[in-house]
Amino acid sequence: MKRIVDVQLIGPFAAMLIVAVIVSLTTDRFLSVGNLSNLSLQVSIVALIAIGATVVIFAAGIDLSSGSMVALLTMIFAEMLKFQGIPLAFALPLILLTGALLGLMLGLVTAYGRIPSFITTLAALIAFRGLALTFNGGAPVFSLDPALEPIFYARLFGIPLPFLYLVFFYTLAAFAMNHTRLGREIYAVGGNPAAAVLTGIDVNRVRTITFVIAGFMTALGAILMSARLNSGSPNYGQTLELQAIAAAVVGGASLAGGRGNVLATLMGAMTIVIVQNGLNLNAVPSSVQNVVLGLIILLAVGIDRWRPELSVLLSRLLGRPRSTGAVAANKTV
Amino acid sequence: MNDTAPLWELVDVCKAYPGVVANDRVCLRLLRGSIHGLLGENGCGKSTLIKTLSGVQQPDSGSILRSGRPVRIDDPRTAREMGVATVFQEFSIVPTLSVAENLFLGNLPVSRLGIVDWDRVHSDAAAVLDDMGFDVSPQTVAGELSVGGQQLVEIAKALVRNAGMVILDEPTAALGEEEIERLHRLLRTMRDRGTAILYVSHRLDEVERIVDEVTILRNGRVVRGSGETGINVAEIVDAMVGENIGEHYPKVCNAGDEIVLEARHLATASGVIDASFTLRRGEVLGLGGVLGSGRTEIARALFGTDRITAGKLLLRGDAVRFEREIDAIDAGMALVPENRKVDGLFFNFRAGGNITAAALPRLVRSGLLDLAAERTATRELVRDLEISPQAEHKTVDFLSGGNQQKIVIARWLFSNAQVLILDEPTQGIDIGAKIAAYTLINELTRAGKSIVLISSDHDELLAMSDRIAIVHHGVVHRTVEASSLTHDDLVRASADPDEHEPGEVAA
Repeated sequence: MKRIVDVQLIGPFAAMLIVAVIVSLTTDRFLSVGNLSNLSLQVSIVALIAIGATVVIFAAGIDLSSGSMVALLTMIFAEMLKFQGIPLAFALPLILLTGALLGLMLGLVTAYGRIPSFITTLAALIAFRGLALTFNGGAPVFSLDPALEPIFYARLFGIPLPFLYLVFFYTLAAFAMNHTRLGREIYAVGGNPAAAVLTGIDVNRVRTITFVIAGFMTALGAILMSARLNSGSPNYGQTLELQAIAAAVVGGASLAGGRGNVLATLMGAMTIVIVQNGLNLNAVPSSVQNVVLGLIILLAVGIDRWRPELSVLLSRLLGRPRSTGAVAANKTV
Repeated sequence: MNDTAPLWELVDVCKAYPGVVANDRVCLRLLRGSIHGLLGENGCGKSTLIKTLSGVQQPDSGSILRSGRPVRIDDPRTAREMGVATVFQEFSIVPTLSVAENLFLGNLPVSRLGIVDWDRVHSDAAAVLDDMGFDVSPQTVAGELSVGGQQLVEIAKALVRNAGMVILDEPTAALGEEEIERLHRLLRTMRDRGTAILYVSHRLDEVERIVDEVTILRNGRVVRGSGETGINVAEIVDAMVGENIGEHYPKVCNAGDEIVLEARHLATASGVIDASFTLRRGEVLGLGGVLGSGRTEIARALFGTDRITAGKLLLRGDAVRFEREIDAIDAGMALVPENRKVDGLFFNFRAGGNITAAALPRLVRSGLLDLAAERTATRELVRDLEISPQAEHKTVDFLSGGNQQKIVIARWLFSNAQVLILDEPTQGIDIGAKIAAYTLINELTRAGKSIVLISSDHDELLAMSDRIAIVHHGVVHRTVEASSLTHDDLVRASADPDEHEPGEVAA
C-alpha cells in the first residue's frame, strides 16, 4: 500500500514545491517564520473542508454547499453562544452534529431522491446562505465567547492547534479510505456504480455517508472560522466550496470518481494557499486572485485529461520510450 | 459508371482484433435492386463487416469497389456521401427532436439568410413519409414512436439522402409481427426501385420471406457466397453451423442429485412470465433462447435485481425472497453479468479490489480491512485461475478480456457462492480464453457449485450444459437433456418452441 501512496503523492507534492519555489523567488517575506506559520493557519480551514469534498468526489459526487454551510453554522453557533446562553462545551458537539445532519439531508436527497449532487448542493449553496441571513437580522455577531479563540490560536508544545487538527484528520481519513470497508466501498461506488450494485454494495447508503462526512468536516471548518474571528457572519465562507474542490482536483482526485488519494488533497490545498499567499505578498488585488484560482482548477483538470498526450510529450522531450507503467501506477487506487 | 458491375463489392477483406480474426478474406457482392441476406451466428464477423462498409473502421487488407472502382471509406461521413446508409441496432435518431428534424439533421434546408426553412423541412419530410406509406406526422417527437417507428425514421433518413445502399443490422430483433411485415413491405418497394439492401440477421425464419440471395459467414469466413446456397433454411443452418463443432468443449458432467435451486412459475414485471426449472448440485443448466427471450430477465430475478411478482424461488428446499442483490449474495448466489465492462469490473481497482468487492465483510478484522489477507487470497485465486500475474499490480483495464472475465468469476469464488449465473461468459474473448473458461466451469461444478449458463453461442450452450431450459417470450417451455438436442433443434426451438412439440407446452 505504501508504494502506491507514494506514487500518487509525487505529482501534487512536486506541484506544491514548484509553486513554493516560484513564490519565494518573487518575495523575501514568503519564507519568513511568521509567514509560514500564518500559512498553516490559513490552510487549515479549507484543507479540513477539502477532506469532505474529496470523499464526496471519490464517490463520484460533488459538494458545492460547504461555503454556505460554513456561514449558516457560524450563525447558528453565534446564536447558541451569544443569545441562547448554551455553554461552549455543549455548543461544539451540537454544531458538529448539525453539520452532519445537514450533510445527511443532502445525501438522502441526492441518493434516494435521485437528484444529481451538483443540483442538490447548488440548491443548498443558495438556501444555506439565505438561512444564515435569518439569524440576528442578517447581521454578523461578534465577541461570541472568550474561550472560543484558543481553539484556533492556542499551541500545543509550540505547534499551532490547527496544524494538529490537520495531521489528525488527514491521517484518519487516509487510514479510513485504505483500511476500512467503507473506504473501499466509496472507491467502488465512484469507480463503477453499476458493478457496485451487482456486488451487493449499498450504493445509496455509501453516497449518503460521504455527504455526512462532508457535513461534519464543514462544521469543523465553521468552528475554526468562528474561533479565528470570534464571530459568526452570514458572509463567511464565500467560494470556500470551490477552494475545497480545487484542492481535491489539484491533488489529483478524478471528478469521475473512484480515483485519488486524500493526502494529495492536502498538497492541493497547500498549493492553492501558497499561490494566494504569494499573490497577497506581491500585493495582487483579490479580484485577480480569483482569476488565478479559476486557472489553477482548469490546469489541474487539464493535466488529468491530457495525461496520455503529456506522457508522449514528456518522453519526446526526455528522449525516452514512453512508459505505460507510469500511467498505470498513477491511476491505481 | 459501369452498370454491369455490382454497386458495392468487397474483395478479400480482412480485419483482426487483438486475439480474434473477425473477417478473413471476405468477399461480398451487393447488386442494385436486390435484398442480400448476410447470415451467421453471433461472433461470425457480421458486425465487423458492417462497420467496414459504413466507414466506422478500416479493413486491415483487401479492397472495396464501388461500381467497379476501388474506393476508401475513411469515415462514416464518407460512407454517407457515397450513398451508404446504415441502420444500426442502436438507432442514431435524436429522441427529443421531431421526425422531420431527424430526417434532415445535419442537412437542414436553409434560406439565403441562413435561417432554417421549416415549411420546406416539414413538406419534404411529409412527402418522404407519405411515399414510404409511414403514417406519422413530421412534427411527432421521434422518441415517442415505438421501436419499429423509430426504425422507419432511420430508413426514411436513408431515403432523404437518396442512399443507393441501405444496411440493416438485425432490423427485426425488437419488432412485433405487424411491424416486421410493414418493414418488409417497405424494403421490397425500395428494392423494386433499385436500392441495394444488405439485410443482416441471424433469424432464419425471415430469410425465406424477404431475402433474394444470401452470404453466410462462419468464424469470420464466407462459407457460402451468393448463388451457392438456395434460400432454403435447412441448407442455411448447415452452412451457418458447420461440421465438427463441439470438439473444443472439454465438458465434464458433475451433476449430482440434490436439488439446490428451484424456480416455480416465476414472474417479474420486467418480462419473465412463467419460469419453472430446477438446478442440481454440480449441474450446468443452460438457458436457451434468442435475444430478448427473457433469459437475462430470469437471471435478474434469481439475483434479486428484479422483484419477483409471482411464483416461488426455493434454495435447498427453503423458500427465499431476495429484495436486493445483497440478499442473493448472502444466500450464496452470484452473477457474472453479460457486459463485464459496464456491470462487472471496477477499472479503478487492481485484481484484489475487484475480487474481494462482493465479500468485503470476510476481510474485516476488528473493524478494519485485513489487507494482507486480501493479498493472499488474491494471489491464490490469480494463480488457481491462471490470471495474468500482472493483475495483482495493475488496474484491470490493462488486462485482456479473458483475464478480466476470470477476475469477475474469481470474485464469486472469494464470496464462496454456491450458485453462479454466467451471462454470456465467453462473449468477446478469444478461443484460448474460452477454453480456459470452459475448464473453469468444469472445476466449479466439480467443487459442487451449480451454474446457470446463458449463452447466445448455441454450440457452447449445448456442449457445456447438462440440461437446457428453452425460454421464449419470458416462458420456460420445457427443460431437456442437452445431449438430446442438436444445434438445429435448439435454433428452431428457441425461435419457435410451440411449433415443434406442441404437446409439451403448458397452456
